[in-house]
Amino acid sequence: MSRTNAYNPKNDVEIAINNVSVVFKDNKGNDVKALDNVDFDIHKGEFISLLGPSGCGKTTLLRTIADLLEPTSGNVRVSGMTPKEIRLMQKFGIVFQSPVLFEWRTVKKNIELPLEIMGYSKKDRSDRADEMLEMVGLTKFANHYPQQLSGGMQQRVGIARAFGIRPEILLMDEPFSALDEFTKEKLHLDLLKIWEKTNKTIVFVTHNIQEAVFLSNRICVLSPHPGRLSAVVDVDLPYPRTTDMRDTPHFGELVSKVRNSFEGGSL
Amino acid sequence: MIKKRKSLWRRLKENRAVQTLSTILLPVLFGVLIIALWQGQILHKIFNTDINTLPLPSRICRIILDNLPSIGENALYTIIVALAGLIIGSIIGYLIAVFASLFQKWGAGGLTIVGAFNAIPIVALAPVMSNWTKDVSSDPNFRSMVAKTLVVMIVCIASMSINAFRGLTELKPFALDLMSSYAAKKRTVFFKLRLPNSIPYVFTALRVSVPISIISAVVSEYFAEYIVGVGREIRENIVLGQYPTAWAYIVVACLIGIAMYGLLMAVEAIVLKNRRIKN
Repeated sequence: MSRTNAYNPKNDVEIAINNVSVVFKDNKGNDVKALDNVDFDIHKGEFISLLGPSGCGKTTLLRTIADLLEPTSGNVRVSGMTPKEIRLMQKFGIVFQSPVLFEWRTVKKNIELPLEIMGYSKKDRSDRADEMLEMVGLTKFANHYPQQLSGGMQQRVGIARAFGIRPEILLMDEPFSALDEFTKEKLHLDLLKIWEKTNKTIVFVTHNIQEAVFLSNRICVLSPHPGRLSAVVDVDLPYPRTTDMRDTPHFGELVSKVRNSFEGGSL
Repeated sequence: MIKKRKSLWRRLKENRAVQTLSTILLPVLFGVLIIALWQGQILHKIFNTDINTLPLPSRICRIILDNLPSIGENALYTIIVALAGLIIGSIIGYLIAVFASLFQKWGAGGLTIVGAFNAIPIVALAPVMSNWTKDVSSDPNFRSMVAKTLVVMIVCIASMSINAFRGLTELKPFALDLMSSYAAKKRTVFFKLRLPNSIPYVFTALRVSVPISIISAVVSEYFAEYIVGVGREIRENIVLGQYPTAWAYIVVACLIGIAMYGLLMAVEAIVLKNRRIKN
């Protein structure tokens, strides 16, 4: 299978993160710097990972891109517009740590939820949901309720729901962190397949180095206290990626390279 | 691998059909036992009482059957009061919860005050309501009905508003973020997320309110101006020393309560069916 949307550094900048700082108040009223002057660009069609230990602000950064959080200083621009404008144009698809499925809706109706909100006709919603169910291999479970599915299947429904709105940008916040290794590896392959088919930009938050290396074409390494960008690592493994690549020496080298790029050398 | 055969007892205990059966069967058996001890006058020996103060079940049954029309009429009034108070009170309670969820900063505090209404004893509330409603109508039966319904209503408002508020605001993590990422309006968030999320909480409230609505209806009848209703008949007959008739009405009050609770359970099982299914 040939890739048409392989990451190409000449591609346009899609998300520009300009000197973003985020300061929170802790419960004692002291300022806590979650993000300190983070500055980099994400290109169109990229699969980029934001990688770091807890407290490095990776989720905070994702939330500022999604307009779920305002940066204290600096700004984010998506295709030259503010994240809020992009959000109101309904161009973000988000997958959270938990699948956030509504237990009163069937699997199919959950996938239709954003389409309902966006005012699609009944037939369009149904067709799109069927298409997405097929993509994630859950056609048989369309009329099941989420609580009848396993954790991995639930997260696949969440991914189907996110892709169903045909978003320009897909934001994923540790979507597989609650799943077992076997399910996770399968979903990695599924996700890459969908990405190759759909040509979307994916911003993927994770604390797992192997996961970041396996999926991304580029990794933004963030260090904690305060959260800051300590390195950007290019992953030159070819797509489509296969599970046996995980066992190659080059994969191991990339993992070490990423690990060593954390400030202070190792974690 | 050697598979050990489970003992018969263990298999029975883990069998789902047996479990459901036993949750119904055991209380029923207990009830039958009590009635048997009662009819056999063993209860009277234990409590050192006579069959006039504690009439036999057979006698109570006969009185109910002999006076079916008048008992039915009194029961109807009690049911009307309980249901009207329950429905109006629950709707008002839910609307208060919706209002509080729109202004969550004050909402939670405001609901604490509503919760305090729950602490007012029905016995105190009933005479006050009777007094307040004296000018509502020239028909004493009607104004008594209003007074009694108000008592039930006030009691039901509190439990519904507190539970519904939780249902409207205790959402799954990231659910609001998800809706916000779709640029959903407040209205949409309410109808697609908060409202459906609150339904199980509404049933939690009703599980409390349904029995309480019967109790409040019965107690408020004691203090009502117009003499009607199961509660009032209990009181009148005790005053007149007609214990068997009083007991007949006590049994009827219990039956109304059990029937309404059973109905609620059935409705809940249907409405929440899809949320409860598991593999």
